[in-house]
Amino acid sequence: MSKLVKRWIPGLLFATLPGLVVLFGYLFPSPLLVYWRDALVEWAVIVAAFAFLLGLFNILRVHGERIGHRRKGWLYSLVLLLAMILAWIPPILPANVPGQDMLDRAVFDYVISPVGAALAALVVFTLALAAFRLLRVRRSAGAMFFLLIVVVALLGSTPLTGLERLADIRDWIVSVPGMAGMRGLLLGVALGTVVTALRVLVLSDRPHSES
Amino acid sequence: MNAGAVLLLILSGLVLMALLILRGRKGTRPFVRLLPAFQELLEETGYAAESGGAVHIALGSGGLNGEDAITSLAGLQVVEALADTAVSYNAAPVITVGDPTLLPLAQDVLRRAYERKGIAELYDPGSVRFVAPSPVAYAAGAANVVATENVTASMMGGAFGAEVSLIADAGAHRGLPQLAAAADPRALGALYPTTDRLAMGEELYAAGAQMTGERRYLVGLVAQDVLRVVLVLAILGAVVLAFLGGG
Repeated sequence: MSKLVKRWIPGLLFATLPGLVVLFGYLFPSPLLVYWRDALVEWAVIVAAFAFLLGLFNILRVHGERIGHRRKGWLYSLVLLLAMILAWIPPILPANVPGQDMLDRAVFDYVISPVGAALAALVVFTLALAAFRLLRVRRSAGAMFFLLIVVVALLGSTPLTGLERLADIRDWIVSVPGMAGMRGLLLGVALGTVVTALRVLVLSDRPHSES
Repeated sequence: MNAGAVLLLILSGLVLMALLILRGRKGTRPFVRLLPAFQELLEETGYAAESGGAVHIALGSGGLNGEDAITSLAGLQVVEALADTAVSYNAAPVITVGDPTLLPLAQDVLRRAYERKGIAELYDPGSVRFVAPSPVAYAAGAANVVATENVTASMMGGAFGAEVSLIADAGAHRGLPQLAAAADPRALGALYPTTDRLAMGEELYAAGAQMTGERRYLVGLVAQDVLRVVLVLAILGAVVLAFLGGG
């Protein structure tokens, strides 16, 4: 009896039932199902917003401990916490404070966006470095083939004259073997997703409690 | 109801049937091929315990309230499967998440492993860390964990894009053993050059079956394989029919 109350009833109430209502709300959009589907999705958004508060406390705890114990990189943690506190100020200022809106936008326009763009640009360099590293440490036929395709695809994408033939080869690689591989991969991912989702729905998998 | 919904319903019904049939069969243990990406993770945890370090597990920037929810849950299976072993060795992994909805779930998985061993007081919630909500910022933060902390191996499993190369690069720079499992083709392209063991596409969803060998996971994996064969045969059949019809 206690097993039923502790394991099955909460699982059925908070996982299976809402999951089925949302799923069927999309598959059979009757007014009643759509109403409950939208309500449940809205509740999920509210719960997710509270999860951000948990995330915030987690950041405070992890970086606060690092600063407290003077662990490696504690100065960066201090900058992070200070930046976090400063970023809170513009949104909580009353709307009638002069420049409140401007200050809020400036944080995004002059700090968050440029730093994000710089990090995204760094990805290109890490990818190039990874390809170079591959050439050094893994000289297998597969690795060489991978690099050859990368070089052909990159050169084929450049607007340089004289490389039109490479552009044709690149297009063929992308649209024939590339697309076939991608579809096979996505088919497998879709199946994996359906199986994992159904396991959660039928309570075979309970990430939220003891199995 | 459109054709996609009908297909999803039929597919879900088939999966459900396969799950129930396979689950009901006692005695026979389903065979699944072994994936080195998951097999070696347990060994790396043992090595981390011996060397006084920790395994870093990056769960990606997906959360529970978006399109990456199931991929994130699949990544969480890695933590579930590893938690007991890690706690036995007293070498808790460092887990980084990029969406706060995944934070309490990952913390809970780890906490329950400590409780099962009767050492709940040793559980440190700081082992699971929320880094940043944007994918690139998350990758940069997780890369910093790999680069600066006492990490002996790095596992990346969950929802990633090409930005995962930042984490992989930090691990490669330190010469760490790197294992990865991802579903997004952009992440796979970025991970292939730097990781030693890579689980691709649907292999990500096999983490639980691979690492625990539990029947509930194995059954799901076999159902997935059976359905893939059915789908491939259906596609081939459709191609033949279209060819004959068109001819």
